[in-house]
Amino acid sequence: MTAATTAVEVLVWMAVATCLICCLGIVVMKDLYERLHYMAPVSTVAAVALLAAVVIEQGWGQAAIKMSLIVVVLFLMNAVLTHATARAARVRELGHWQPAPDEKIEGLDQIGRGRHHR
Amino acid sequence: MNVWLLGSAVLLFGLVPCGIASFRGETMERLVGLEMAGMIITLLLVMLAEGMGRVNFYDLALALALLAFGGGLVFARFLERWL
Repeated sequence: MTAATTAVEVLVWMAVATCLICCLGIVVMKDLYERLHYMAPVSTVAAVALLAAVVIEQGWGQAAIKMSLIVVVLFLMNAVLTHATARAARVRELGHWQPAPDEKIEGLDQIGRGRHHR
Repeated sequence: MNVWLLGSAVLLFGLVPCGIASFRGETMERLVGLEMAGMIITLLLVMLAEGMGRVNFYDLALALALLAFGGGLVFARFLERWL
């Protein structure tokens, strides 16, 4: 067993373990907003670990290029989807997503409160 | 049976919690289960493609990633007000 094979195995199992733990987090957490956090490690840690494993096994070829494209898509997808889902949940709950006038949110005074309620 | 195929078989169990999350709870919480399942299956397809040694199969994972992205956005948009 060479060092490259060992590295590939470690990276693959690391990705699998990350995915499984995050899947458990989706069920265990009580709230939508807490559950959303568990999508992030899958799209960053697991995806990059698999990319590294593919590069180690095959070098920079067609597979690695396609895999890096997938990693970029997953990375952007996670950010946009998390934002869109949290925003949709808040709109569903309140009818708008801006903070209420008396709502205490840390750091909000630096960026200013939105006034336009849709 | 190489490490990729073995890993993808183990990764399949990750779909069970996603299914549980999608089958209970309120509507928006179910959507998170669906989005998570999309990402897990994308990585699963990558591992299958690498395990079977077919570079062309990476396209499936790429297509699924893009479609899951679009699908999740559409769901979020419609669940926001209309559903």
